[in-house]
Amino acid sequence: MIKKHLITRSPLRVFEDATHGGPGKGAVAVLASPKGVGKTACLVHIATDKLFQGKSVIHVSYASRVDYIITWYEDIFKEIAKNHRLRDAVAVHDEIIKNRVIMNFKQDGMKTEQVLRSLEAMITGGKFNAETIIVDGYDFGLAESADLVRFKEFARRMGLEIWFSASLKETGGASFGPDGMPALLAPHAGQIDVLVTLQAKSDAVEIRVVKDHDNPPAGILPLKLDPKTLLLIVKE
Amino acid sequence: MATTIERMRNIGISAHIDSGKTTLSERILYYSGKIHRIHEVKGKDGVGATMDHMELERERGITITSAATNVEWAGHAINIIDTPGHVDFTIEVERSLRVLDGAVLVLCSVGGVQSQTITVDRQLRRYDVPRLAFINKCDRVGANPLKVRDQLEEKLKHNAVLMQIPIGLEDQHRGVVDLVAMKALYFEGDDVRTDEVPADLREEAARRRNDLLDAASMFSDELTEAILEDRITEDLIHAAVRRGTIARKLTPVFMGSAYKNKGVQALLDGVVRYLPDPSEVKNVAIDRSAESGASAEVVLATDPEAPAVLLAFKLEDGPYGQLTYIRVYQGRVEKGTELLNTRSGQEIKVGRLIRMHADDMEDITVAAAGDIAALFGIDCASGDTFTDPSLNYSMTSIYVPEPVISLAIKPKDKKALDRMAKALNRFTKEDPTFRTFVDPESHETIIQGMGELHLDVYVERMKREYNAEVETGMPQVAYREALTRKVEFDYTHKKQTGGAGQYGRVIGYIEPMAEGTYEFVNDVKGGRIPREFIPSCDKGFKAAVKKGDLIGFPVTGVRVVLNDGQYHEVDSSDNAFQAAAIGAFRQVYAKAKPQILEPVMKVSVEGPTEFAGAVFGSINQRRGIIVSSIEDGSFSRVDAEVPLSEMFGYSMQLRSLTQGKAEFTMEFLKYGRVPSAVSEELQKLHAEKKARESK
Repeated sequence: MIKKHLITRSPLRVFEDATHGGPGKGAVAVLASPKGVGKTACLVHIATDKLFQGKSVIHVSYASRVDYIITWYEDIFKEIAKNHRLRDAVAVHDEIIKNRVIMNFKQDGMKTEQVLRSLEAMITGGKFNAETIIVDGYDFGLAESADLVRFKEFARRMGLEIWFSASLKETGGASFGPDGMPALLAPHAGQIDVLVTLQAKSDAVEIRVVKDHDNPPAGILPLKLDPKTLLLIVKE
Repeated sequence: MATTIERMRNIGISAHIDSGKTTLSERILYYSGKIHRIHEVKGKDGVGATMDHMELERERGITITSAATNVEWAGHAINIIDTPGHVDFTIEVERSLRVLDGAVLVLCSVGGVQSQTITVDRQLRRYDVPRLAFINKCDRVGANPLKVRDQLEEKLKHNAVLMQIPIGLEDQHRGVVDLVAMKALYFEGDDVRTDEVPADLREEAARRRNDLLDAASMFSDELTEAILEDRITEDLIHAAVRRGTIARKLTPVFMGSAYKNKGVQALLDGVVRYLPDPSEVKNVAIDRSAESGASAEVVLATDPEAPAVLLAFKLEDGPYGQLTYIRVYQGRVEKGTELLNTRSGQEIKVGRLIRMHADDMEDITVAAAGDIAALFGIDCASGDTFTDPSLNYSMTSIYVPEPVISLAIKPKDKKALDRMAKALNRFTKEDPTFRTFVDPESHETIIQGMGELHLDVYVERMKREYNAEVETGMPQVAYREALTRKVEFDYTHKKQTGGAGQYGRVIGYIEPMAEGTYEFVNDVKGGRIPREFIPSCDKGFKAAVKKGDLIGFPVTGVRVVLNDGQYHEVDSSDNAFQAAAIGAFRQVYAKAKPQILEPVMKVSVEGPTEFAGAVFGSINQRRGIIVSSIEDGSFSRVDAEVPLSEMFGYSMQLRSLTQGKAEFTMEFLKYGRVPSAVSEELQKLHAEKKARESK
């Protein structure tokens, strides 16, 4: 298969169709689930899909080591290339990784202002024309409401889409509001444009759109996580 | 002296340049009674420090080779392996780190954790080497060992625990308080005087001792109980600190001033108390006899009775011939022991076995597992593994990176020519990443290596050690050419103009391959090309790939498959088939859509966060790809992949961009494709050069 088909047939098109084109420029999106369900894999899949489209991605990690994140990208790429019998996989790989930068920060003792300053330095000083920023391992429990406001303002000003992952408490113990908003994220609800939750059900991981800008949310999507590869796939 | 394994230590001393590493090594030799006069680095008396026995190192104040020196302290035998710190000497660093069981990380009490400290610490971490820290230069203005301890924790993520606190600093520095024994140690001349803790330090010493006990008790339930029951003994503390250190979860911190002879003896006590003996370290080898696919790694037993396994980690030319430094990992060697060099397949018999003490040596009868010794009269290369003939293990990976930079050198006179040849012969044996050849067109001698500094050092060594002065050209990046697609060839070489004719026809295809540089596959059936001419074809193709047509650099990653051909009873010859092979390659090379590859370096820039933007920009300017950036408080590190050809002059740019506050290291990563604009430029330059030469 050639790269173009990889884009058009991506399960992420299903997600975009259900959310009026996805978060979009200037938006903040959050992917929330308990630990170990597959958030990082999902975010890396979203990032890889952007990379396939020739867009640039900055992957901000607050927790994991850089080599660990690179391994995620390598694994997800390999799975996609294998599933779709991608032609010239090595050349495609070399081409797209040029458009990915990983930035690693420590959340305690590191102010959001400084993180955003460094992101801006990468985009302007490093002439790295990112369109999407992935933020993984950010602890919403430690976040002040002003921090999310800053991220949101940054997304608007720079014309970026920012995807966060949010780790909810142990499986089953996470509390949700009547609208499906996890309690952890409620204080930041005003800054979140798109919210997606992952929930482990007995047969598969369920993917639900809880918030979609000002549109009525689409609810449970016809997608699931492949339990083996953690890739998003269309439900049969 | 036969030493039991518990009383053996193999250690390295690692540091940022100018932290006083050489002075410290020198003092260690002095206090352990091996030398009787202390020389200063860059010696005023013209003798220089004993460890740096190469002239060049004396001049530069840096240490390039890894000499091993044996000393005794408190009934223990300590082998000190001098480790090069600079990243340009990758192979040397790797080899010396392999033979260490523990290390002393030297820091400057003023400069603290510096960029090179981070680099050497990372290397030690990569090889899982337990370490002690020694905060040196406490006599300097601005000395602040406590701040340096904090930096060990913050910047290097060490669980750094003070074993001592200083008694006076700067010009008042007189000694240290030993927090285990709770005694003051004063270093007077060659002696250590023990006294009560000075009154003004008692409170701080008690507080710091509690920190030490807290940290140490994590590794010993016995100590925890003893603390609760108020029956702590020094031995319990030592045992707990030792356990934490060997697990690499605790770094004991010592301090003093090597230059002023303060703190060295206490550090040596720490080395024997806390660093592991060889049996406490896991070493693995690759079993080369294992069938492919099977797990080939084997754990070696530090057992003198097991079959012998040893690594030749360093060669030196002495007045009596080649000296080969070895580390014995398993079994033992004695005079007359038969060993197999698993790289060359050669069997050797051990002759003289010696132990080195800085500049003099001692004959020994046996070297057992864990020991470091040297052999005389063994012909081998650095990095070779020797084993009992019943085994076929390798201690080092077989992979040697291709050199990325080359330099033309010319001897200044006739005498220098012979000496240069001798020196080059020696260096290539010592260091597999250093190569040399004579360019058949320009007739220049070319040396190749892993970086500018790498080559500089060898040029200097030629002058110093071999008295061979050479002139050098401009450094050249080692480009490569590579095919991108498979093409078929069918080529006939025919000459019949009087006399004996020449005839050979070759048919087959060439294709790119991902790994390796060149492969020849003979698939000719039915004697279409007689067997005696097959090697001629191979030889011809081999010659052809030495120079690609794009820019005249070697073609890499080529598989040649020969599957048909024709010959002539009379006119076919070795030469004819070689010529046919060369002709075939030249004819179809362009159709294989060749491209130019260039060496790409892994570059790490470390410095204050405030300059991150400038660093990102500087890498972008140089066609670099930023892989990651790590920020931790005010400190940041940027990892990038940058073409070597763009890295010339980077140290100057970085210095001016960051007011000298950032530093970078680089090492070879891979060969990468050059962008088309650069490719065209290189081809244009090559065409111009060729035109000039043909005039």
